[in-house]
Amino acid sequence: MRKYLALLLAAMMMASLFSFAAMAETADSALLAEAGLEIGSDGAYRFTETRKITVEIFDRGLDNGKTPAHDNLWTQWIHDSVLEKHNIEVEFQPVDRWSEDTQINNLLAAGDAPDVCVTYSYPAIQQYANMGGVVDLAEYVDKYAAVLPNLWGWLGDYNVNYDRDPFTGTLWALEAKLAVNTRIGTFVRKDWLEKLGLDEPTSIEEYEDMLRAFRDNAELLLGADADKMVPFSTSYDVGWRTDHLAAAFIPDAMTDKDQFVYGFDDRHIMYPNYKEAIRKLNEWYNEGLIWQDFALYGDGDTTEDNMIKAGYVGSLIHSWDQPYRDGDNGYTGNLHTMVGPEADWVSVTTFKNDAGLYRKFLSQPIDRKVFLPGTNDEPLASLLYIDFISDAENIMFLQLGEEGKTHRVLENGAYQNISGQEGSDPEWIQNSLNNIDYTITINGLNLPIESIAAGYAGVDPALVVKAYEASLKDGRVAKKVATGEIVSEAGMASPLKEKRDVMLDNAIIAKPEDFDSVWDAAWADYLASGAQDIINERLAAWESIYGEATMLP
Amino acid sequence: MNTTARAPAVQVRPKSSGGMTYMRRYWTLYLLLALPLAYFFIFKYLPIANILVAFKQYNITKTVWQMQWAKNNGWEFFIKAFSNRDFRYAVRNTIMLNMLDLVAGFPAPILLALLLNELPYRKFKRVTQTVAYMPHFLSWIIISQLALQLFAPTNGLVNMALRGAGFNTIPFLNESWHWVATYVFLGIWQSVGWNTIIYLAAITGINPELYEAASVDGAGRFRKIFHVTLPGLKPTIVVLLILSLGRILGSDFDRPYALTNKIVNDVSNVIATFVYTSGIKSMQFSLATAVGLFQSVVCVIFLVAANTIAERMGERGLM
Repeated sequence: MRKYLALLLAAMMMASLFSFAAMAETADSALLAEAGLEIGSDGAYRFTETRKITVEIFDRGLDNGKTPAHDNLWTQWIHDSVLEKHNIEVEFQPVDRWSEDTQINNLLAAGDAPDVCVTYSYPAIQQYANMGGVVDLAEYVDKYAAVLPNLWGWLGDYNVNYDRDPFTGTLWALEAKLAVNTRIGTFVRKDWLEKLGLDEPTSIEEYEDMLRAFRDNAELLLGADADKMVPFSTSYDVGWRTDHLAAAFIPDAMTDKDQFVYGFDDRHIMYPNYKEAIRKLNEWYNEGLIWQDFALYGDGDTTEDNMIKAGYVGSLIHSWDQPYRDGDNGYTGNLHTMVGPEADWVSVTTFKNDAGLYRKFLSQPIDRKVFLPGTNDEPLASLLYIDFISDAENIMFLQLGEEGKTHRVLENGAYQNISGQEGSDPEWIQNSLNNIDYTITINGLNLPIESIAAGYAGVDPALVVKAYEASLKDGRVAKKVATGEIVSEAGMASPLKEKRDVMLDNAIIAKPEDFDSVWDAAWADYLASGAQDIINERLAAWESIYGEATMLP
Repeated sequence: MNTTARAPAVQVRPKSSGGMTYMRRYWTLYLLLALPLAYFFIFKYLPIANILVAFKQYNITKTVWQMQWAKNNGWEFFIKAFSNRDFRYAVRNTIMLNMLDLVAGFPAPILLALLLNELPYRKFKRVTQTVAYMPHFLSWIIISQLALQLFAPTNGLVNMALRGAGFNTIPFLNESWHWVATYVFLGIWQSVGWNTIIYLAAITGINPELYEAASVDGAGRFRKIFHVTLPGLKPTIVVLLILSLGRILGSDFDRPYALTNKIVNDVSNVIATFVYTSGIKSMQFSLATAVGLFQSVVCVIFLVAANTIAERMGERGLM
């Protein structure tokens, strides 16, 4: 009983946090009758006749005892609850998580897309919307606001209206919330620092010295495997894997206007002075501090992961919790078995910008985009489904499940997710961490960091808390600039991304004396291949809305 | 009994119903033919209408007839492609890689077939042949992973061996021109055995009396190869050469896509990969179709030209 009580209390706390819920008023009866709704005995809006919808579910495969993404205890619970509450019959349609953008594209093109779609790619939605292939949600969310209290309450005005076009008023997608706005972390082998008697680096110079110390002491650190030493590891996706270093080279005085005008690329390579960060990497590469083969291995290749797991790598920049993920199969888990329990990854706060700040460029608190394709003939039922899945209580249940089955409550009051680990109920296994694939209107656990940190199996929670804080320190969160569609961006994401990676990789491996010519030629080509048009259009859009202003309120 | 009873019946029918009789007798064969014909009609001829997408603004919700015409009298996407530097590079790379494949890869199976044909031990010949065509069954994804294991600069087996023996490493995959050589070499390795089969079959078709006559005339092994085997193979070689020339601007997708990496993009980006990144992945279906159409037209021109030249030179062509 206690566990339910705890859950209930937590849920109530959540609900009170989002007091938007209180603004819900009862919808008038004419509206209900027109929509085919009635008020059920529990006060929920029910369809008088059963409606049927299909919902997209990310599928992450069946490794490690996982259940089919579209048919398991959780989906059964959602199905039964939605049927009971709203009289809607839900069917789930699995879509591969790692190629979701391509897959949803194919499904949309074939007219087979689920009624409720989820994707990370807004340009894909925009493109289909331009062809008339997406439902305009503007009218629905406004007209039926009273019927959708959880949707409005949970997402709030910011996320619901984020994509509303300021000129045409169209609304093609709802932006999910991002519970944890962490992005990148810089990590160093803690045990190597200790072995060499080094402190955690607090400046680029110290960091460089540390890398050189790793290189020069390979015998001591790796013994017979000394030739496998990689002081700093990166991948072909240099933009992601040098983010913190690069952010330190961007002038702190960069205006909001510049951030927007040069903000098309999500790795921020168009920001001023980015080139100098890559020059630094070029120096390191030519000094033998960087893994020499990094550019040869493509997306999804595990060669680098395996080197990190085997313990050959001294430092890296990656997703903020990358070293702590995946329990025994992750970076830390493998390090513990292959090197020893003392081997660990610790996050460091190293790269200072010209204002002395440990600057990071963080995303706006938006995440996946939920939209209804044009083939959807049950838009209201679909929105009611989104309303159900945005109910704080339901989110809590999906993320944490039941005590003893999916989570434990620790002494400090934190919830520890134990899904898939010893002591959990295998039937209640979560296919994605905290079931984020089912809670499509939020990504991440909406709880204090202690609960998040407790969820990483086999990892010292203090390390996770440290990484979390480091990832947010001196963060600059992008601000929303409502310009409507930037037409020149259509279809450019993929070719420019490809160009970006080619440009960065080739600049890093160039001879130091060739660096400028390699970079300048590639940069000119990057601009000529569409980036300049995007910059120009963004600039014009900014000036038409904000005029002379360079900063947003 | 039956035949005698039926014969007059056939004769008394008026001539105009000859077709009927013919059909009555052979309709099952035509029925068999109906399926392949339907296949070609539905999957090869009906989609031809979608070539129009190259000249129109693609729209998912409309049929190809309802879509709006593209700008510049429909040539918008052709202009867009040709003003794109990556596309011009892709055309250049496609031709370059295919030419190299042709120069280095076309004679290889002929040579191997001649070698195999001269082997006196049947068993050894069989085993060699089987081993040689095995790589044909490997997908390029697998071959690309093998290539990385073998040729990567620091972790590759070959380079580790070279370093161990005190030599400099060779940038098989991470320097443009070395990559091109690796690409061509892997192509030959993958396809040589398989392509040999057709030549070996042609060699078996050569009249053995010719060899006997040549022996009587005192011809040795090489004389026989040059004056009997090769002339016997000539029609096969010409047909295959014409087909290869027809593919000079065509391109595999999986081979360059699997073998490429970011460093050698300047020589590995071919038309097929361009269509994938700039067209399909970016949902620029009109652009993708325009490029595909351009590619097909050039291929047909090459095919017809090669065929004509072959016919002029006194060979039987394809058409």
